[in-house]
Amino acid sequence: MKKFLCTFCAGVAFSCLGLSVAEAWSLEEAAKDYKGTEIKVIFLDRPGYRATIKMLPEFEQKTGIKVSYEIVPYESTREKEVLDFSAQGDLSIALVDLVWLGEFAESGWIVPIDELQKKFPNLTDPDLDLKDFFPLLLNAFGTWNNTVYGLPFDNYSGLLYYNKEMLKQAGFEKPPETWDDLLTVYGPKLTKDGKYAFALQSRRGETQSCDSFMRFIWPWGGSLLDAKFKPNLLSAKDQEGLEFRQKLEKIMPPGIVDFDHNEAVNALAQRQVAMITEWSAFYSTLTDPKTSKIINDLAVAPEPKGPDGRKPALGGFSLAVTTQADDKKKGAAWLFIEWVTSKAKAKEYVENGGVSGRQSTYQDKDLVAKYPFVPPMVESWQQGVPEFRPRFAEWPQLSEIIAEWGTKMMDGQATVKQASEEINKRTEDVLKKAGYYDGKKTLAQ
Amino acid sequence: MSAEKIKKTYSTGAFFFIAPAVVVLLAVGIFPLLFAVGVSFHQFLLPKVHWHGNFLGIWPIYDAPFSWFGNYISIFQDDSFRESLGRTFLFLIICLPCELILGLVIALLLHKQGNELLKKICRVALVIPMATTFAVVGLMGRLMFDANYGILNYLWALIFHSRPNWLADPNLAFLSISSMEVWQWTPFCALVLFSSLTMVPAEIEEAAKLETAQWWQILWRVQLPFMLPGITAILILRTADILKLFDVVYIMTKGGPGSATELISVFVQRVGFRAFDQGVASAQAIVLLIIATLLSRFYIKFVYKEI
Amino acid sequence: MASAKSKPGSGPQGFSIGHFLLLLVVIVVCVFPFYWMVTTSFKEQSAILSATPQFFFHPTLGNYTTAFQKFDIGASLVNSLIVALSTTAISLILGAPAAYAIARFDFKGKRDLWFWFISNRMISPIVVALPFFLIARQFRLLDTQLVLILIYLTFNVPIVVWICADQFRNIPKELDEAATLEGYSSFGIFWRIALPLAAPGIAVSAIFSFIFSWNELLYALVLTRTNAKTAPVVATSFLSGYELPWGQIMATGTLVALPVIIFSIIVSRQLVRGLTMGAIK
Repeated sequence: MKKFLCTFCAGVAFSCLGLSVAEAWSLEEAAKDYKGTEIKVIFLDRPGYRATIKMLPEFEQKTGIKVSYEIVPYESTREKEVLDFSAQGDLSIALVDLVWLGEFAESGWIVPIDELQKKFPNLTDPDLDLKDFFPLLLNAFGTWNNTVYGLPFDNYSGLLYYNKEMLKQAGFEKPPETWDDLLTVYGPKLTKDGKYAFALQSRRGETQSCDSFMRFIWPWGGSLLDAKFKPNLLSAKDQEGLEFRQKLEKIMPPGIVDFDHNEAVNALAQRQVAMITEWSAFYSTLTDPKTSKIINDLAVAPEPKGPDGRKPALGGFSLAVTTQADDKKKGAAWLFIEWVTSKAKAKEYVENGGVSGRQSTYQDKDLVAKYPFVPPMVESWQQGVPEFRPRFAEWPQLSEIIAEWGTKMMDGQATVKQASEEINKRTEDVLKKAGYYDGKKTLAQ
Repeated sequence: MSAEKIKKTYSTGAFFFIAPAVVVLLAVGIFPLLFAVGVSFHQFLLPKVHWHGNFLGIWPIYDAPFSWFGNYISIFQDDSFRESLGRTFLFLIICLPCELILGLVIALLLHKQGNELLKKICRVALVIPMATTFAVVGLMGRLMFDANYGILNYLWALIFHSRPNWLADPNLAFLSISSMEVWQWTPFCALVLFSSLTMVPAEIEEAAKLETAQWWQILWRVQLPFMLPGITAILILRTADILKLFDVVYIMTKGGPGSATELISVFVQRVGFRAFDQGVASAQAIVLLIIATLLSRFYIKFVYKEI
Repeated sequence: MASAKSKPGSGPQGFSIGHFLLLLVVIVVCVFPFYWMVTTSFKEQSAILSATPQFFFHPTLGNYTTAFQKFDIGASLVNSLIVALSTTAISLILGAPAAYAIARFDFKGKRDLWFWFISNRMISPIVVALPFFLIARQFRLLDTQLVLILIYLTFNVPIVVWICADQFRNIPKELDEAATLEGYSSFGIFWRIALPLAAPGIAVSAIFSFIFSWNELLYALVLTRTNAKTAPVVATSFLSGYELPWGQIMATGTLVALPVIIFSIIVSRQLVRGLTMGAIK
């Protein structure tokens, strides 16, 4: 209760600050027609959402709009949203994983932002400043076909977490700069006495396709699809990357193909491995004494570079307004989305456990000092690839194909070449059925 | 009363006994079934179809193109579907006999005289495996079978000095999910068979015991015939359920590594809720329904004998 | 030849070592994972994930308080209880008479009818989730307990019909005939004679009905939001795809499993009563 009151007061104080900066426009003024509206959204049980939930009472108090959330397992989120959208359900806000963006946008389920701005000119915060968002994030999470639909809300980057004590004892003062270094130089020295140098989460599922597979394509200059959207996995660069991944197994614990995020993070936290490349969100798990044994030895760096540069894993969610909501709910939803990702609320969001996608947030030196994962994360966001995973509607199908054959590749059930051929073949089937090769469909990913 | 009159009373009575159940089940279940059948003849990708209101207020109208047997043909051409189905049958052949035999042993143990208190505890203990939410069973499996932190490998290492990769090796993963399945459903078999055993008239059992001391002869000749209906019920039910088995497997291994543990329902879920191709998924479900029906007829013909 | 299944040294009514040990093994195997779940629920995350499983540890109630406060498991348990009890009760009311009719009466298409009941359990929920969702929305039944109660009937009534039909079949027909001669109507026979004798079957099918309804996840996930959320949905909402708070998961798992166990204990007594009656008859 006390904590709640403190956060509440802090929230009010901050919003006053924000209000005094944003001239004539005020949230309360804009929201006065929307008192009593209820908007529904789906949330996950993750730090960013928990931070938002703490901030909800303040929003309700200011605007009279009730945000009603439902916490759903990640695996079922897309299911629930798609079912809701295709049956004219009652969600007013769409939680859009970047890989669902193409699907949601093309099915017409979410509303572009400039449409919202035209429709509700009084509701747009003059301080919205889309340029303040990291271009990579706004592009990858919120923009499809040059139209902005959502604002980056829950933002992640892949980072290299490492145990600096273990590295020091093996004679390393700094983390590896390149993947090659990691394998050839750091690997052998750190893999002994039951400990391993590295762990790569590779369980079948999105973990395999995104974290394990894609990570070894882009930094080698490869790609999933070529310019004509034909699958490209048999190209020299793709093959080089994938073969490299196979070699990594020497310096990783046995059974790595079953490691999911938890197992990888835990392996680092329990000193079983020296390095992992995982999402920025796990920083809190690794610094919590209840879950980690390496609090003092933990260090963070951007992911290692491949021959083609640094292309870290990219992931995140944006919030968008749904088409199915009636006008009143659309307006209320738009107000909420702006508010929760606004500059004014960003610091509070971060302090409650969220990760803001605005550049201005990280100009605060105190904030940056408090969260050591911020500098590598900000650096990673300068260079990423928006289509790290294609965001078109067919990605979930492709993800399943890659997950199945990617794990077979790692397990030895198929060679790299065989598995790549299979993935190519099936991917081509899927994309053909979807009409990408008839010239009728825009090649957007 | 004459025999005729008795029979007549019985026939009309039957209607009123059965009607409520039939009416309710039809009212709730017939529409979705017809919908699924209908959808299986269309090209129905959920994100791509548009809903145009309801016909007569109930039947939803979608603008999905009709595709005759297209979906069905694609199923038969799909290797993955066949492989997954084969895998599921392998799973069935491994797990079901184990469950039946173990269940039978447990039922006999519960039926035998003596140790009343322990039997009572046992009956309650049997409910525990089924009482846990299947998803949580899957998570428990993950925790216990974990190669590095699981209790199983801890004990295994003490005895055998090795730490097998239960969830990462394709064959061991299959074994792991099989053992979770057997653990969870053997009690079901045990309880059903136990309740069948209670129906064996005591006099017959006593008479048989006087005739022969061999317990397995008593089992085969006297007790088993009374358990055949129960065994048939178990066969049909477990077959249908294994064809639908999803939660435990998905959470333990997500169908991996590779496709080692991808049972048919995990496959259908992929199609129906990831690719959202409800057309093909419905066709697959109908095919599975037909298979389950055929198998059930088979069981009834060869196993079930009315007393 | 002494095999694992033979029971040497047993007196007519007495204590048999083999019997005792085997029962004990069954109990241990059934209970051990549950025991592990319960003890895990009292552990801190670091204890859960340590390299050697800890049998002795500092217990904490933290996981339970989080489950109650953060996830409102209390409300979902109530929802689950209402849904499971209602659907079990209705299934028994609908299913027992139907089972009796199938066991006792002869009419055309009886076999097919019996088979039709069973086939209700064979369709995969994945492809009927969408139509159920659409109907529920149409009749404004989304996020209500009623919609779950109704849908669960489709797989509980068949179980009841099945198990009870067997039990009814095994009741000697002479009892029926004697009762008819005394002037009982068919319903009277059903109510006063058949039902009490079939108590074990009714008890077992009630337990199964309750369990299947209690644990059902797919329909509950798709058709409920906040008001009618059932316990399994809450138990799985922890699967955020990233963290796995094992302690909290096991705490909710334990809370979810407890009511079923209690229900079975209560209903088991009926099972025993029925058995004794059966022997006496």
